[in-house]
Amino acid sequence: MPKCIKSEGQAIDYASKLLSPEEEDPFKEHLKNCPDCTEAVQSFRTVLQLTDKAQAELRVPELALQDIEMNVYKRLAAAHEQTLLSRVRAYLVNFGSLFRWQRTAAASTIAVALITIALLWGELFSPEPEMLLPDTQSAVARIEQYRQQHIQRNLEEAFITHHLRNDAWETESRLHRMKEHAHGTNWTKVADDHLQNLHSGH
Amino acid sequence: MFIAGIMDKLIDDEMLVAQFQSGRQNAFDELMKRYKAKIFSYLLRSVRNYEDAEDITIEVFFKAYRALDNWQPKAKFSTWLYKIASNLAIDYHRTKGRHPVYALEDLEIPEANLVATDLHSDPVHQVEEQERGRIIREAVDQLSPKQKAVFMLSRYEGLQLKEVAETLDMAEGTVKIHLHRAVKRLQTLLRPLWENNEI
Ligand SMILES: [Zn+2]
Repeated sequence: MPKCIKSEGQAIDYASKLLSPEEEDPFKEHLKNCPDCTEAVQSFRTVLQLTDKAQAELRVPELALQDIEMNVYKRLAAAHEQTLLSRVRAYLVNFGSLFRWQRTAAASTIAVALITIALLWGELFSPEPEMLLPDTQSAVARIEQYRQQHIQRNLEEAFITHHLRNDAWETESRLHRMKEHAHGTNWTKVADDHLQNLHSGH
Repeated sequence: MFIAGIMDKLIDDEMLVAQFQSGRQNAFDELMKRYKAKIFSYLLRSVRNYEDAEDITIEVFFKAYRALDNWQPKAKFSTWLYKIASNLAIDYHRTKGRHPVYALEDLEIPEANLVATDLHSDPVHQVEEQERGRIIREAVDQLSPKQKAVFMLSRYEGLQLKEVAETLDMAEGTVKIHLHRAVKRLQTLLRPLWENNEI
């Protein structure tokens, strides 16, 4: 039996619901009398159903999602540090070549002092080369803000899972998470107290 | 703060960008909130590795933040964001070799999916379902990076073909060609499997 001369592209577009109404109606008519295209559409539909289902199984983990903003600000702060660092390196290279002939410790001390002065000088007087970067301070403030939100959210969630759902495993993981974010603050003690209570069955 | 949150939702993306450009930091936070799940899941489908998808998502917003001051509203903000993500995903596949590391797949499935969620579910059936999903996702990985990007953006991110074309710097006709090749290739790969009841 001769194959239909219509392109498979149309069958794919039809199965993918990508045809415009002006294209769709004549194709539907064509399908009524064309087993080739009907078979092709059926087959492409199966492909798409299978891939849709397989893709839907990939779910974004809620916990990883919570940290995105904070990590973006961390990345921005790190990049800012990096620009400072690369300027340090640039200075080191320049001054290193000037002082290569000197081998005494005194000379290198002077070199380091000069570099430091040059760096501070550059920092104070040269215009910021990358104006787009946030200054480290505002990024750090952002990180702190998100951290506090995380502590609060995880503590709230821990209470909810403990009292409303009585889910010990989830409560514990929330508290551990809170503790992670709270590192270096008094909130770690709060988390520890709750963890202890949880373990002693209160 | 609460009112500001409600207000933000009523403002379109491009307005938020304008606000950010005039110095309102919170506008960027709102943009991240709107798009982080979408970009993360797009990247997850593309690189199929949770850690890498997370890292690249962070990289997308990092790059967006640094470029946003000079951004011109020629296209939609979301298209631009997908463009950054697509470029990073294509780079990722280039450096990692063409296909993701399959061996990691088991680690990638969140624990919730591996644990029987109710007492009536049949563990054997669950394992079979997982295996089936894995085989199909591996077939999608066989597509070229561009075929894959076109397929993902149009099928799973809800982008119009015109927007896919903008995102990937292609003519709309080229997008169609890639899309047709992608579906055709998937048919070639999957058909023998479903005909033999393997998936
Ligand atoms: Zn036909």
